[in-house]
Amino acid sequence: MTLKPLLALTLLAGAVQAQTVTGKAFGTYTNVAGGVTQSPVATLPSSGGMATGQADAFNVAGLVSGQQLNAVTTGAVDNKKTGAQSVSEVESVSAAGGAITADIVTAVATSYVNPNGGGSDAEGSGFTNLVVSGVPVTIDVAPNTRVDLPGVGYAILNEQIASGDGVNSFGITVNMIRVVMQNFLGQTTGEVIVGSASSSVAR
Amino acid sequence: MNNARHLALAVGAIAAVLVAGACQDAASPPGTITAGAQPPPPPKKDKGECANFRLTGGGRTDDRSHITANKSTPESHDFATFGFQARPDGCPETSGRGNLEWNEHDPNALGGGFAFHGRVTFFTNTMDETAGTTGCGRFGGFGRFNPRNGATTEGVPFEVRHACDIDEPGRGVDHISIVIGPIGDGGPTYERHGLLSGGNIQWHRLTGNN
Repeated sequence: MTLKPLLALTLLAGAVQAQTVTGKAFGTYTNVAGGVTQSPVATLPSSGGMATGQADAFNVAGLVSGQQLNAVTTGAVDNKKTGAQSVSEVESVSAAGGAITADIVTAVATSYVNPNGGGSDAEGSGFTNLVVSGVPVTIDVAPNTRVDLPGVGYAILNEQIASGDGVNSFGITVNMIRVVMQNFLGQTTGEVIVGSASSSVAR
Repeated sequence: MNNARHLALAVGAIAAVLVAGACQDAASPPGTITAGAQPPPPPKKDKGECANFRLTGGGRTDDRSHITANKSTPESHDFATFGFQARPDGCPETSGRGNLEWNEHDPNALGGGFAFHGRVTFFTNTMDETAGTTGCGRFGGFGRFNPRNGATTEGVPFEVRHACDIDEPGRGVDHISIVIGPIGDGGPTYERHGLLSGGNIQWHRLTGNN
């Protein structure tokens, strides 16, 4: 007699608990010859909330420098709708030995799910006064734009990586600048990321 | 008996708000509030009541006209990014808790642009002043104002006059209005209001401890 209500409660609790969010944002990251350096990372708890990571400046000589690094991620879980959004910003950016510069690099990642569906996007992401190899870029940079950097390797600008199954889970990672360093054989020797924000939700 | 107790508590709360409002009006005309010395103006009766929901949000706002979600020109640096979580302590209280991060990039803004880190102390229901949208949240508190040019100021009041969750995702529909300041005694005040050009604001009904 009492099993039915208990079962219903258990199923209901399970349905609510199944919803999760993830969020992460950081200003800069370098990985060269196994040596990793990274500015403070904001990581959202799986149950939602808010996290921040800030630094006045970040500099790895010859690889990347930036100022006013701000990363924030927020999110919430409930049985009606669930969402996560992350923002990363870096000012006065110089990457790949000055081959890429920008006044401001902004990454925004947004994910949501509700009874009508869900989605993820990178709206709000962008560069302010981006210059690549000495050439100002005055138009919006299309997602996943590859730029060759002679003597360095290549860069992916406005990199957007989708995740989730598109039905019950949705997610996106946005890396506004990702430099892949290569040797003369074309082998990867290092990586630099500037302006990274990610978010995901699942039900 | 419980009803009588609740009624007494409600009357007491209303009286407390009225007394607080009277003290605020008498002691502190607009623009002369000492940062950190007293709370920001309490919610007005026509603008906010205790809320049964919480808000989270993050993203970016550019256009100040509240008409478009277009990005500002790169030369202007005229945009702000933000993230927040805010919730009430529960009716009939209008106190609240949470945090807010606000980064203004416009070099012509207060301090040549700034980063603001706020702690939420009140939260109420409200109506959007521009479109009359219901179900928006109003919250505020105090925080640290860190300008590009100048010294950091602690205990600066702020108020998100409304943060509205209109639809999913938030670009072009959700909107936010914020006031930060005054910065110091009788100092300047910053305001910004606009649609989101990226990100999202979400409204979540309170359920139990969630």
